[in-house]
Amino acid sequence: MKLFIRCLLLLAAMKCLAQESPYFVTYDHHMEEPGNLDVEISATTDVPRMGQRFFGAPWTEFEYGVTANWTTEFYLEGQSTYGDSTVFTGWRWENRYRPLKRLHLFNPVLYLEYENINEASRILKEVEGDAPDLSSPNSILRSEQDHELEAKLILSTDSHNWNFAENFIVAKNFSQSEGVEFGYSLGAFRPLATIASGKNCRFCRENFSAGAEFYGGLGSTQGFVLSNTAHYAAPVFAWLLTENSTLRFSPGFGLTHESAPVLFRIGYSYEIQDFKSTVAHLFGARR
Amino acid sequence: MRKFLCIIMLALPLGAGAQNLTYWPDPTWRVPENAAAQPNPLTDRPELAGGGRKLFLRNCAECHGEDGTGKTKKHSANLQLPAIQIQSDGALFWKITNGNTGRGMPSFSKLPEPERWQIVMYLRQLKPLAAAR
Repeated sequence: MKLFIRCLLLLAAMKCLAQESPYFVTYDHHMEEPGNLDVEISATTDVPRMGQRFFGAPWTEFEYGVTANWTTEFYLEGQSTYGDSTVFTGWRWENRYRPLKRLHLFNPVLYLEYENINEASRILKEVEGDAPDLSSPNSILRSEQDHELEAKLILSTDSHNWNFAENFIVAKNFSQSEGVEFGYSLGAFRPLATIASGKNCRFCRENFSAGAEFYGGLGSTQGFVLSNTAHYAAPVFAWLLTENSTLRFSPGFGLTHESAPVLFRIGYSYEIQDFKSTVAHLFGARR
Repeated sequence: MRKFLCIIMLALPLGAGAQNLTYWPDPTWRVPENAAAQPNPLTDRPELAGGGRKLFLRNCAECHGEDGTGKTKKHSANLQLPAIQIQSDGALFWKITNGNTGRGMPSFSKLPEPERWQIVMYLRQLKPLAAAR
């Protein structure tokens, strides 16, 4: 009990900040600051096609800056389909590494993720290969377990207060014979104001950023057929709600018949500064 | 009185632990000449330093401290030292933009360019430490 109370007190005393990019799918070259923990709760829902059911897929991310050029992230995800069931769909562990010290025209980041999820996963954090099955019931989908390794090459540029990012995805599902799947994601955004005012305001333009991202699958080694792939165009918005939290929103519009007609994404992130020292202090280390 | 002096003697090194008085610049972190020569485009708008302070507290104070004196534990620069203040606006801007990831300093190119210049303006307002004079 004492430990629990100490934990609560320490969490309350933690200094926090948040200034997140508005992207949901695309990654840029900005890493989590070393020692900081970003906790994010997000959800994806859709407007279903005829014969499909409305779903909501929430997920939680824990993003930690190990060093200034290495960020690690752990995900837990679930899914609830209207008139069907609510299921836990698995977990993911990703790592991003920025190899170059200085900024360049294109800043590469290497990304590697292990996914232990099932076919009922609907968070659509990335789209690769053929379009996901949005029609089958959860009872069937959750029995199909996926152990997937996913790699991305992230290229990103900051220019004239804009960020431009391109992600190239390669994924291999070791549980099923799907071959190697490919996907892409492109994004651009900028803050609505580029000069910070001296006052602490919540509705100033400097606290908002907006842009768009485009993402989709590019088939697999078993067939580069784009007709079975899903593609989306999605405006993205972020609002720095407080010094420690950001709210993000993105309506995504399906561009092919295999895509969901509309995807809605919403995310709330809360960043905790110097998490490592705070936890060390909890276990007796001096600040 | 002796007890009081003992407490002061013990408190001094603890206080120094919060400020990084021993910071030594990274000799390999060199700013290109053309970047160092870049003037701050906001110098004629000194009122913007207030926004720079807000950005500094949001993005930099975690490692450099709210007064910019750095933190020994974080190995972060004491921004009040002459070794830092002697650098040109362009050099400071370049260092904020690029970071020095090998030494734990992230890149802040995610901030718009004018906001990075605002931070440089605020850095110029940090008062030098008595110890550094």
